[in-house]
Amino acid sequence: MTDSILEVRDIHTFIGQFHILEGVSVSVPVGSITVLLGRNGAGKTTTLRSIMGLTPPARGQILFDGKNIAGKHPHAIAQLGIGYVPEHRAIFRELTVHENLRIAERKRGDLARKADFIFELFPDLKRLIDLPGGNLSGGQQQMLAVARALVPDNRLLLIDEPSEGLAPVIIEQLMAAISRLAESSSVLLVEQNFRVASRLAQQYVIIEEGQSPAAGKIDALVQDAALVQRYLGVA
Amino acid sequence: MAVTPRKTGWLQGNGWLLVLLALLILFPFIVGALTDSSPYGVARGDRMIMRGESVRWQSVLIEVYILAILTMSYNLLFGFTGVISFGHALFFGTASYLFGLALEFTEMDTGLAIVVGAVAAIVVCGLLGLLIGLVTLRLKGVYFAIFTLAVAEMFFIFLGRWQLTRAEDGFAITDLPAWLDPTQSRLSFYYLALVLAVLTFLFIRRLVNSPTGAVFQAIRENEDRAQSLGYNTLNYKLFSIVIAGMLAGVAGLLQVMLNKKVGPELLSVGYTVDPLLMTIIGGVGTLGGPIIGAAGLHLLDVFFRDRELVLGSMTIDIANIWALLLGVIFILAVIVFPYGVIGTWRRWQARALRKR
Repeated sequence: MTDSILEVRDIHTFIGQFHILEGVSVSVPVGSITVLLGRNGAGKTTTLRSIMGLTPPARGQILFDGKNIAGKHPHAIAQLGIGYVPEHRAIFRELTVHENLRIAERKRGDLARKADFIFELFPDLKRLIDLPGGNLSGGQQQMLAVARALVPDNRLLLIDEPSEGLAPVIIEQLMAAISRLAESSSVLLVEQNFRVASRLAQQYVIIEEGQSPAAGKIDALVQDAALVQRYLGVA
Repeated sequence: MAVTPRKTGWLQGNGWLLVLLALLILFPFIVGALTDSSPYGVARGDRMIMRGESVRWQSVLIEVYILAILTMSYNLLFGFTGVISFGHALFFGTASYLFGLALEFTEMDTGLAIVVGAVAAIVVCGLLGLLIGLVTLRLKGVYFAIFTLAVAEMFFIFLGRWQLTRAEDGFAITDLPAWLDPTQSRLSFYYLALVLAVLTFLFIRRLVNSPTGAVFQAIRENEDRAQSLGYNTLNYKLFSIVIAGMLAGVAGLLQVMLNKKVGPELLSVGYTVDPLLMTIIGGVGTLGGPIIGAAGLHLLDVFFRDRELVLGSMTIDIANIWALLLGVIFILAVIVFPYGVIGTWRRWQARALRKR
């Protein structure tokens, strides 16, 4: 498939002696949002971390733009144009908002070029620019974590559970921002909240017990109550 | 759109530093005036004898400056980059030995030997840092710490047996020019140590506030995240250990000139533990913490060193139980100031601000 920016083919990942991913395949078409769905502990986060090289897969291929990146160092993978927003508001608490953004520059001037766009999506951050990241509220930290991935020119964003533990109004704002992101880059999202995910994404991949048993268009999944019930346990 | 953070004026941001600096520059004269002693020592014939309260207190502060440089360098690695080394004495001692070897074991004339010795010492410290880092920085936390401890101990044992440098007796430095020799001109050496301590502080502050320093702190907080942003964190950790090694070397050079003696004790684990404790007590990952820690612990040491503790009919020499007292101070400090003096002060300040 040439229209996929990312093609994960049958990866197997071990953490210590545990076989966490036992053959996961994910395809992310260019310019759209794909969501990984599945229960806690199914392997969604490990899939993102494997793509990023943080838990390199022992077997299988990860094609980014047609080139295999499995086994590369995380920093080399990031430099290819992949942005990663880890779960749990992964900001640097001791650095200020400005330092958090500046550190994400891959080329000098990245932040200056993207500042307008970032502050339009997240106006709060402009006001908080001098504060240490740790002083921000949960929602603001999550916005900062997403904003950081927007500073360099990323062609693919991996976003892990952005809505976790946030108030509905903040989730709305984040989701609006993420759907705008998909206009300029492709997104692979992990999202537990099925309603949020189904509104945002165009494709889904189910992750279940370290495998990817089902994938397709999200519209089809929304219609298929039996499938949703089987893998996600929600009506 | 501008994304520059607010800037405060240089003078405003550095006011306290300038006041402290002025006090330290005048310190020998202030102590001299208070105790009616000369900061230059006592004249005897055409020589100056280093006697009197002012001269004595100059050495105390010189020792503080040396420990402060050593602790600041340790804090750069441990406090700002998050790499725990148990072998910092290696750099301190290696620099002393190289400087001593250049002065006492080569035929170079004194001026040249000092320059060559100092430059060689600092370069070799940087290289040692690079080498140790290349071999071990891929290891995580405790393995790295143990390896650095092993290397430092290896050098310690080797130098304690090396006949050329008179094994565990070490050797004396006899060749220093008058202005560098604290036994002839304490005051000029005082200012040399002060200048180097201030330069070290300014350098580390500049580095920590630079984009590179932000990456150091990002690595300390979460190395995976720093890598995910595209940083080859190994290179940054190597850079940090090289700089820290070189600065610890500067402290070693001063130490050897102050004591005019080189010996394996300069590589002993004490010169690793002291900066570690001083960093923790002063405030890990703060700019002022190492200075407060070094000054506080060393002044306590000086104050109590030759005092006696009378418990009923028992008299205990405090010098003999200093290590025990240090342990108690450390435990108390960790309980009372869990984030170090500076860190706890900041948190307390932030809480007061929030209440307002």
